[in-house]
Amino acid sequence: MRDSLLAVALTAVAVVVRADEAKPVFERDVRPVLRAACFHCHGEDEELAGGLDLRLRRLMVTGGESGSAIDPGDPDSSYLLDRIRSGEMPPEGAGHVSEEDVATIERWIAAGAPTLRPEPEKIGRGLLITAEDRSWWSFQPVERPAVPRVQRPELVATPIDAFLLAKLEAEGLSFSSPAERRTLIRRLSFSLRGLPPSPEEVAAFEADTSPAAWERLVDRFLASPAYGERWGRHWLDVAGYADSEGVVEADVQRKWAWKYRDWVVNALNDDMPYDQFVREQLAGDELLGRPPSELTEDEVARLTATGFLRTAPDGTASGGLDPGVARNQVVADTIEIVGSSLLGMTVQCAQCHEHRYDPIPQADYYALRAVFEPALDWKAWKTPPQRLVSLETEADRSRAAEIEAEAKQIEAKRSEQQAKAIEAVFQRELAKLPDDEREAASTARKTEAKKRTDEQKALLRKYPSLNVSAGSLYLYDKKAADALKKLADQAAAVRRRKPRTQFVRALVEPAGHAPSTFLFHRGDHEQPKEKVQPAGLTVLRTSDSSPIPADDPSLDSTGRRLAFANHLVSGRHPLVARVVVNRLWRHHFGRGLVATPGDFGRLGERPTHPELLDWFADELVRSGWSLKHLHRRILLSSAYQQSSTRTVEQRTADPENTLLGGFRMQRLEAEVLRDSLLALSGRINRKPFGPPIPVMADRVGQWVIGKENLNAGRPGAVIPMKGEEFRRSIYVEARRSRPLAVLEVFDLPRMEPHCNARSSSTVAPQSLLLVNGPFVVEASAALAKRVTAEAGDADADRVRLAWRLVYSRDPRDEELAVATAFLAEQTADLATRAGEKDAPATQALASLCQVLLGSNEFLYVD
Amino acid sequence: MNRPNRSTRRHFLASHAASLTGLAMASVIRDEGLRAAPSKPALETPTFDTRPKEPHHEPRARAMISLWMQGGPSHHDLFDPKPEMAKYDGQPFPGEIKYDNAAQASSKVFASPWRFAKHGKCGTEISELLPHTAGIVDDITLIRSMHTGVNNHGQSIRALQTGRILAGRATVGSWLVYGLGTESRDLPAFMALVDPGQLPVLGVENWSNGWLPAIYQGTVVRPTEPRILNLDAPAHLQGTPQRRSLDLLESLNARHLSDHPGELDLQARMASYDLAARMQSAAKEALDVSRETKATQSMYGLDESATRDYGTRCLIARRLVERGVRFVQVYTANQLWDSHGSIRSRLPAACTKVDKPAAALVRDLEARGLLDSTVVHWGGEMGRLPVVQNDTGPKKIGRDHNTYGFSSWVAGGGFKRGHVHGATDEWGHKAVEDPVGHADYHATLLHLFGVEHDRLVYERGSREMTLTDGQDCRVVEGLIESV
Repeated sequence: MRDSLLAVALTAVAVVVRADEAKPVFERDVRPVLRAACFHCHGEDEELAGGLDLRLRRLMVTGGESGSAIDPGDPDSSYLLDRIRSGEMPPEGAGHVSEEDVATIERWIAAGAPTLRPEPEKIGRGLLITAEDRSWWSFQPVERPAVPRVQRPELVATPIDAFLLAKLEAEGLSFSSPAERRTLIRRLSFSLRGLPPSPEEVAAFEADTSPAAWERLVDRFLASPAYGERWGRHWLDVAGYADSEGVVEADVQRKWAWKYRDWVVNALNDDMPYDQFVREQLAGDELLGRPPSELTEDEVARLTATGFLRTAPDGTASGGLDPGVARNQVVADTIEIVGSSLLGMTVQCAQCHEHRYDPIPQADYYALRAVFEPALDWKAWKTPPQRLVSLETEADRSRAAEIEAEAKQIEAKRSEQQAKAIEAVFQRELAKLPDDEREAASTARKTEAKKRTDEQKALLRKYPSLNVSAGSLYLYDKKAADALKKLADQAAAVRRRKPRTQFVRALVEPAGHAPSTFLFHRGDHEQPKEKVQPAGLTVLRTSDSSPIPADDPSLDSTGRRLAFANHLVSGRHPLVARVVVNRLWRHHFGRGLVATPGDFGRLGERPTHPELLDWFADELVRSGWSLKHLHRRILLSSAYQQSSTRTVEQRTADPENTLLGGFRMQRLEAEVLRDSLLALSGRINRKPFGPPIPVMADRVGQWVIGKENLNAGRPGAVIPMKGEEFRRSIYVEARRSRPLAVLEVFDLPRMEPHCNARSSSTVAPQSLLLVNGPFVVEASAALAKRVTAEAGDADADRVRLAWRLVYSRDPRDEELAVATAFLAEQTADLATRAGEKDAPATQALASLCQVLLGSNEFLYVD
Repeated sequence: MNRPNRSTRRHFLASHAASLTGLAMASVIRDEGLRAAPSKPALETPTFDTRPKEPHHEPRARAMISLWMQGGPSHHDLFDPKPEMAKYDGQPFPGEIKYDNAAQASSKVFASPWRFAKHGKCGTEISELLPHTAGIVDDITLIRSMHTGVNNHGQSIRALQTGRILAGRATVGSWLVYGLGTESRDLPAFMALVDPGQLPVLGVENWSNGWLPAIYQGTVVRPTEPRILNLDAPAHLQGTPQRRSLDLLESLNARHLSDHPGELDLQARMASYDLAARMQSAAKEALDVSRETKATQSMYGLDESATRDYGTRCLIARRLVERGVRFVQVYTANQLWDSHGSIRSRLPAACTKVDKPAAALVRDLEARGLLDSTVVHWGGEMGRLPVVQNDTGPKKIGRDHNTYGFSSWVAGGGFKRGHVHGATDEWGHKAVEDPVGHADYHATLLHLFGVEHDRLVYERGSREMTLTDGQDCRVVEGLIESV
């Protein structure tokens, strides 16, 4: 079926007809309308409703049970139009045909219902991919366009500027003036490190007037380990990273997921080429080429990368759910994550039926599923605990055995000493007995308890102090007991040296496992239909053969994911590079060249600068897939270095700033806000990596950082976190049911199953948190303490330092006056209510700091 | 909260927006500014606020409480008796049916196992599962002909909450606040009272402002105390010190805004600080149900464990509209009403949770003279099918989705009292008599608020957005009480 469908589509491409632009034609103007509203029942479903197929003009003329659907040349006697006009079709809810579209259909029929080209003789079941479908912008090969000429070439710092400027100039606009240096370093620091620049960094940059200063700064920040933490978070959103399984209320923790998080941070810091980044995440296990044991560090990293395919919410070990439903949901979510993160397509919409808007037949969805089926086989399922791969090596095991032997030796020595000590005590106690009873008592003790005679038992009862044992030895001989305890501790200490077994939460395809994949009728796994072979999207195929083998004989595994990954990063895939460069663009400029980063299809937005997108995508491939290279291209551009203040003319001509004639203001993201408060108050703990910092409920049920210590279900004593509570947010446990309160209120996304683009809301709970929230109040107090320590006693100096820390600039004269007056009044007021320990001046300074931290100038990057 | 030092802010408001009081700012600017000089677009980006706006005509309703029954309450078993179906119970259904879950589908007719009786002066028939609702039939209009026509939760929820089945649009509450503002200066105009269990299907989308400016977003009230976090100022800052801080903050923000003209988000954040400051005292008081009498509390079921949660939230909803909040939605837990299986046990449990509180709310509003100006809505995104789902024994059976015909009830704000509107076919499958689609419902609702659905417009780039979005719909006169 698939092949015939493809053949039909290919023949259709071969015929190129120029259409008369004014007259509606079927393929271009009418078919998309009918496809969205009618094809489901009249063409794509197994049974044609009313026997009518609307997918081809000739089939409409043939008609169904009610006769011909159209009468070419005569709209008024065309049954199709009659039914649509009367509102009977499409049925309520199935879709809507706008008046404009009805008029188009009418004109088309009146014009004799022309088609662009002869229609195929045969038509298979399902969605027919037409030449019009194939001509969609995002399916076209990436071609490096020439860099346009502009009127003011002096404004062009990198080719990006030329593309942007050409469009601005066409509207009579240009870039805004360059931003101030302190604005630039602040912008760059938040963008690349997710933290504010220090006052020293700002001063040094302002003082460095050499032309290369900016480039040096860009390179320095790109090389900072904070870069991977900042940009890793962006990728983890797309990948749907979480430290828990979700689905059910228990929301079980994923103990080893963090290794994947660390892998992402490291990969970005190392500027791992994006092709390798994709390949390892999709097929790290297949890259090993062998079962995962005795792994080198590199191999562990590759295996860890497959954590990307293990991020979906997963209820399969949670109980209480239908296993078939739960497992297939994990598979579906994983496909959704892969589809939108790498392909920028909503492939998941083709799970139950043909995609309504994009040329993705339902069979394509299952062909994609077939790529993953051998490793994500719902009939041979690995539950979350089963998919942990132990990293223990043979060397680890023999080391452990050696250590165990060493411990055993100590323990043997201890047993011997213990026996001696007990015997010594016994002899001492025995000596206290009358002469005539000693021997009998000694014999009684040596006799096994069960075999003792009544006399012997009576004798031992008579002298209870004879019953010295390992447990009671310390009562007789504290010194000997202490020595024994020391030996036991020694043995335990030796055992602690054993290598602790580490695990990764990985996707490992079993050797020789190639289950069949079936198309599920209406997405229902209990209704499997025809078998489907692994493949990429049909609409992108240029040859008849699939780039993905059903089973690669050179590998133990099927090789499907590896081939799929290679296909994606071949440099010729039209979506993959465009999708990632668009995401990169979006994070720097607050909006993508395509505003819908996860949907490059018909329901997504069109690119504002298609040539620039292509140039940039090509640049990625040419640079050897270096993301840091792309960052430099953006960051060194004039566009990035413009001011965010646009003139009235610019705002009028381009209200949404789509032409980028000015930098776009952006609110700090949740994690950046929290991390910056920690950094400014001097408390941040920059320790990277490792198991997540736990999240617990505080006494009012808010999710805060802390080790859960429940007492009869209620929070018990608070366990000290020893500075771990001040670590960067990327290391805080991402438990789906426990979003950290301070992050959640600032739009932390829920991973259900992942997040393509965060929202940025402005609501009263955010203001309440900034005004009254303990986290902000504490951060302000710590910031005040720091300011006091560094700036000394004069209010003016304190104000200056606070401004430099929070705003990266000096206060203006009037600000200095207002702020010092504020401190004086606030101090006087607080003094009237102060307790003995309070220092009103420090509290006043803390309240000033809190005002700065809650102000728009801090909360937004301009 | 008193603010001695407001000169900067006053200046800002006067120069931008303070003098504008028409319906929704964007349309004012379009009407006044652009009509005068059509070739030249407005130089100032519109500003947005939630101050009260004049409606198009005299309103009947001023506030609304929507009791959102997510999952699809089974109308066959609650509101829409079909006694004739008993004869065919267990036999094959004679017509076409669209199932959501084909895997568990069966065509056996499933007559309701529960009894119906006539109630009130109007004689509306209500199921024995809703004894308290039966007691308020003379105050409500029961719509037996709701339909949205899209057979899954997400899309049908969107249809009813946002007007269209597509994601990303603004919810009804956001539209009302955008169009009419709010009479409360101290509380958010749109409040979402979520269930202590899981959020309903689509989660935060249910109170999303979509592409409307962020100030029209619903504010979530937590299901347990503290219902709004961070309401209390730190002890040492309470009173004058915090007020001084907020004044300084406002002047810093005003200066910053003047350097960044036209940034809507900066304006919205300034407004949200204002609101936050006023909420500190007002919200605490409004959310404190312990200020209600014992009699009121027990009327809402606060003294029974089954009804305590939903009753408390209904009571809070009443307190909020009393204080001028425009729109409150009270959610049931995720899929509470989605009776695919075990309907014989699950449905009665769901009814017990909400029946008494919902009826109490209507009685209480009526007793306080608020029902005439407050719309109460009770309903979900769909109903159920007339046939069995999951045919694996009487205890396990349920009903699948049906969005072609289902029931909701509305009361107050100009809706008829003691009335039944519309009907489904003989099987309770499709709305056949006086059908009310989601867009009809929205048009009627806005009409009662004094707003014409096609004239409440938001300009999004070059597009004009409305709640009903050009769908074929009408104000359903049959639902409206004549004056």
